[in-house]
Amino acid sequence: MSADRLSVRHDDGEPLLQVAELRTHFRTPRGMVRAVDGVTFTLERGKALGVVGESGSGKTVLARTVMGLLPKRNVNTSGSVRFGGVEMLGLPQRQMRELWGTEMAMVFQDPMSSLNPLMKVGKQITEPLRFHMGMGKSDSIATAERLLRDVRIPEPRRRLNQYPHELSGGMRQRVMIAIALACGPNLLFADEPTTALDVTVQSQILDLIAEQRRDRNMAVILVTHDLGVVANYTDEIAVMYAGRLVEKAPTRTLFSNMKMPYTKALLRSIPKLNLPSHTRLDTIPGRPPDLVHPPRGCRFAPRCANARDRCTEEEPPLLAADSDDHTYACWYPVGSPEYREREEQLKRLDDRRVLAAEEAG
Amino acid sequence: MTTTSMDTMTAMPDAASDERVATKRRLPKLGVTFGVLWLGTLIFLAVFADFMPFIRGYGQSLDGATNTRFGPGIDFWFGSDTLGRDVFARCIYGARTSLTIASASILVGTVVGGTLGMVAGYFKGWVDRVISIFTDSLLALPAIIIASLLVGRFDVLADSDIKFLGFGFGWMSRTWSVTIVFSLLSIAPVARIVRAQTLSLSQREYVLAARSLGASTRRVLWREIVPNVIPALTAVIFTGIAILLAAEGGLAFLGYSVPRPPSWGSMIADDRDKIEEAWWTSIFPCFMLFFTVLAFNLIGDRLARRFDIREAAL
Repeated sequence: MSADRLSVRHDDGEPLLQVAELRTHFRTPRGMVRAVDGVTFTLERGKALGVVGESGSGKTVLARTVMGLLPKRNVNTSGSVRFGGVEMLGLPQRQMRELWGTEMAMVFQDPMSSLNPLMKVGKQITEPLRFHMGMGKSDSIATAERLLRDVRIPEPRRRLNQYPHELSGGMRQRVMIAIALACGPNLLFADEPTTALDVTVQSQILDLIAEQRRDRNMAVILVTHDLGVVANYTDEIAVMYAGRLVEKAPTRTLFSNMKMPYTKALLRSIPKLNLPSHTRLDTIPGRPPDLVHPPRGCRFAPRCANARDRCTEEEPPLLAADSDDHTYACWYPVGSPEYREREEQLKRLDDRRVLAAEEAG
Repeated sequence: MTTTSMDTMTAMPDAASDERVATKRRLPKLGVTFGVLWLGTLIFLAVFADFMPFIRGYGQSLDGATNTRFGPGIDFWFGSDTLGRDVFARCIYGARTSLTIASASILVGTVVGGTLGMVAGYFKGWVDRVISIFTDSLLALPAIIIASLLVGRFDVLADSDIKFLGFGFGWMSRTWSVTIVFSLLSIAPVARIVRAQTLSLSQREYVLAARSLGASTRRVLWREIVPNVIPALTAVIFTGIAILLAAEGGLAFLGYSVPRPPSWGSMIADDRDKIEEAWWTSIFPCFMLFFTVLAFNLIGDRLARRFDIREAAL
């Protein structure tokens, strides 16, 4: 095993993760589902990247492809995933296993089902420690206790001897995080880590991940459908739509200067506290496109209020905005003259409708 | 739950309804208690029959008596048969034979079928196809006909001088051949259930989580899948034993019984024509069979229900 040990490098200036033109296609009876279709990004050490998009936009598949967790059968992947200078795509499972846990780990969406119900919490934490780090029994138990304390679980000693069903959802997600952190990974995937938890626990869990990221200089890929969630916890945000990256920018830039109408629509669909009650929430009309036959041109065009003829004919390339690290794929981005013109038309229409309603009512 | 919250709301605890709820919950346990007690006693007696002063030998006849057939009474609890053998003792020794055959077969079936089912369910693809075709064909066979056919062939084999890899088949008594046949027949149902369980378990997030932490396939199978299959499997095992016990009776009825020590099936089969003069010789083994099958079923049901609840709470 040691003969073909992977030489993952962590010293030179190379970024931790480089993903280029990544495509993941599922062969299904209906045809090829292009779940991830040409995604490119890089992630530096210790940074946090948020991947945002609706359900079915390919976020989870992207994370699982990068990690190498997808089944081989009926899955076509192409492109490149370089982790610490090593090409990961196409590595055999045996070699991937050396990286899983120690180099990269994943926290899953549903803490209710991601712990083995029949194994004590302690056992589930100590197993990877003993397996990967070669720790002895007492060593691993001590480390597990420390890990549980790190993730703010009260009475860690007692928890080690409990089964998952004795813990609450938030507690279980903490345990999941502790397990994922156990072997000191350099990259943590958090696949909607808070979706199954209630709101008060959400921020605790995200704070915890952020804190652990700082302490361990660990890179994090945070997959979520909630722009609000990523805003406070990421350095960079990548917005996905129908298997493609449609906008990518440093978090601050994205929120101050978003270019893609889809990003804007996503942001608008989040309820805001300062709006009066009973304000109708802006939704994005329609559904995400069928990934077997994605629409021609821009994939968001059929649902985009600002779409013009060109949008349905030509696919917009990823363009650089004001700075190099802000890219977007849109012919008529937010702020462009065409966009503003359409905005005004829509607003006039809306006003007229309100007026008509008032007259009628 | 609802009752308690209602009570606190109305602040008038209704003692009667509370009690009704409590007894309702206790009721199902009766069956299981009976099952456990019955099986416990039976297994204890069967194992230690040789050391029990009140259990006579199963082949032992009464010496010097002219009339050897007694009805149930103080001396012979279940009466004695035509040859003056104690029916109670034979029932106990019968338990030994019947239970050994049934549990040994289900053990083999579980190990072989469980492995096949787990491999099929976890690896899917062509492995699954091959195993599924194999188990489906086994299930398509008419079990009792195959069983009687095979036992008959094994009898011929045991009497012959045929050698396989230098070994003869003289050792193969009826006990052995029935066990072998039942083992074969119990592989397919177990494999099927384990396969289905594994299919759904392998999609669980904790299996993916274990893989994402670098667990090997063997580790995932042993630590994540097997422990989670076992609850369902125990239920299957108990029901399976019950079915095999009854099947052994059926086989005995067809003449392929285990003569010594007699199984319940063979006792019933041997004495069923004397039911007019000596009903006790065949009715008591019938009762034994009935209550034992019932006990296994009750326990199996209880286990299934219990683990279902646990499963639902996941």
